[in-house]
Amino acid sequence: MSITVLGVNHRTAPLEVRERFAHAAHEVPGALARVLSAGAEGGVLLSTCNRTEFYLADPREPVSEAVWALLGERLSGDHAAREYGYAERDRDAVRHLYRVSAGLDSMVLGESQIQGQVREAWEVSRGQAGPVMHRLFQSALLVGARVRSETKLGNGAASVPSAAVSVAGKIFGDLTGRSALILGAGDMAELAAQCLVAEGARVTLVANRTYERARAIAEQLDARALTLEEAWPHFADTDIVLCSTAAPHAVVTWERVAAVIQGRGGRPLCILDLAVPRDVDPAVGQLENVFLYDVDDLQAVAGQAAALRRGEIPAAEHIVSEEVERFWTWYGGLAVVPALKAFRERLDEVRATELERAVRRFKHLQPEDQEQLEQFSRALLSKFLHHPTVALKLAAERGRGYALLEALRELFGLERRDDA
Amino acid sequence: MLFELHVAALALYVLSAAIALAPFAGLPAVSRRWTLGVASLGAVLHGIGVAQLIGMGISGLARPLSVLAWFLVVLQIGSELLLRVGTVTLFTAPLAGGLVGLALMLGLAPGAQPSAGRNAWFILHVALSVLGLALLALAFISAALYVLQFRELKAKRFGHVFQLFPPLERLDRLNLVALVAGFPALTIGVLLAVGYAVRYAGGMHVDPAQLVWGSFTWVVLGWTVWVRVARHWAGRRAAFASIAGFAAVVLVYLALKLAQPGTQRFL
Repeated sequence: MSITVLGVNHRTAPLEVRERFAHAAHEVPGALARVLSAGAEGGVLLSTCNRTEFYLADPREPVSEAVWALLGERLSGDHAAREYGYAERDRDAVRHLYRVSAGLDSMVLGESQIQGQVREAWEVSRGQAGPVMHRLFQSALLVGARVRSETKLGNGAASVPSAAVSVAGKIFGDLTGRSALILGAGDMAELAAQCLVAEGARVTLVANRTYERARAIAEQLDARALTLEEAWPHFADTDIVLCSTAAPHAVVTWERVAAVIQGRGGRPLCILDLAVPRDVDPAVGQLENVFLYDVDDLQAVAGQAAALRRGEIPAAEHIVSEEVERFWTWYGGLAVVPALKAFRERLDEVRATELERAVRRFKHLQPEDQEQLEQFSRALLSKFLHHPTVALKLAAERGRGYALLEALRELFGLERRDDA
Repeated sequence: MLFELHVAALALYVLSAAIALAPFAGLPAVSRRWTLGVASLGAVLHGIGVAQLIGMGISGLARPLSVLAWFLVVLQIGSELLLRVGTVTLFTAPLAGGLVGLALMLGLAPGAQPSAGRNAWFILHVALSVLGLALLALAFISAALYVLQFRELKAKRFGHVFQLFPPLERLDRLNLVALVAGFPALTIGVLLAVGYAVRYAGGMHVDPAQLVWGSFTWVVLGWTVWVRVARHWAGRRAAFASIAGFAAVVLVYLALKLAQPGTQRFL
């Protein structure tokens, strides 16, 4: 029995590789079926923008080849998928998943989105997961929840887009129904806009130097497209402005904002300048009720939260270790039953062979005597097996079953399923 | 019993203030349930004391101060529950504790009080006037928190105030709600005083200091409501108006009290 994880993540593969390996939900059952057909009892495929990982129960040797081959088909050029990948086994595989679920392995330490992605992966793979993977993923979700409730690993906004949301939240409170205007078509603004939308804000307008690009983003966000020149009057009625143009100089000037700010009736305006070089003249921030933040400011907010989160790593790792042991105790107990069965069958086989040989040698024995001899051999075997059986079950209860099983397999030459 | 109830409430208000201040001193924040629980227990014990005070009559200086403290804590709990502005505790808890302490020092026990203190009109007049005053104080507190948070956000300082203070718009809303609720309470309180004077005191004979301060407070509160509702002031300008209004009301009271010192009368 064993548990293995094979995959790639943001530490081992660049974005252009990770996005090729990413599996949409509808692709998961097919990919898993292909991998499981190479020999495994169950599996779950966790695929996010930062990782693609196959968690497998009792995989045989060809399975890892199947995984790398499947991922390799998505690559072009001479690179093999294995070059970007890693494999963890048994306790390390369990620890890996628990760390992932807790946000300890995330690009943004402690981010909570991963917990939902772990749950989704489990649900999508439910039909192919098998009992061990079910238990593993169920416990991984509990570990993630425990880490978040018992430590401050998830506190604060630790990325620039979430810091943008956090700052806007400090001005407006609940962002539900707040209107946002996106200026420019930068990736960061798009990410921040998605974070704002997730908090209930509405992106109502998207303005860009080229109207076509503005329209493309506006369609995604169910907003109206504008040219930059058409955007300035809307500073009077929008709550949040996200700036991310590629302009080499400030396009949002003091004069442009001052001209419309009087019409806001004292309502605050939050301008988040995510562009480098900056899109907004710093003097704009001096206008009454205008709150201007650039990338450095938001990084400072994110940095504070990240520092706080880093301080929580030891406590979170401690919880993960505790839970790995708890799972391994259960898993070790699960492994005892088939191993004991194999052990008994092996010794019974020896007993039966030796008994048959003895009966052939002692031809004078009456059938009743032969019966007595057989009973004796069974009783003797039971006596021999009693103590190891009890000891193994006890060890399994105490979380040491797996180590003893390994010893048993070595000493008595029991067949490992994954060695087959 | 009255004394013990006030002492217990005072202790709980001090504890409540300490809990609210703890995160600013780098100590771990206590859960919202505990913060609310301590303040609510204090308010319940204090409320029993206030009920006893009302039975004895709420004239003099110490008793209205105790009622004012109780209203402040009740409003603090309401602000936390309805608008999630628990940070008002930073001001309300020490203020309520100070007022209860002062009331205890001045003496809450019945003395040679005029019979007016037990009249229903008079009790209602005092209760509503004090509620109006407590709401003006709450408007001041929310305005002060607004100005502090505004300053931090403008200066891009992302420290304790940024982390722990409520959002600007929520504070602005609390300020508006407190003013809009406070004005009718004070207006009815003032009208009841006039009615009481006419019905029971045999005409419009009212102490000039009370008349001046009552009218001044009503005008100030009315003005702050007017600028917010009719002139649509919001944000920092409205916050400054609330702060200035409350400060003026307190200063005028202190000036009048210094002119006519004594603990037997509110003014």
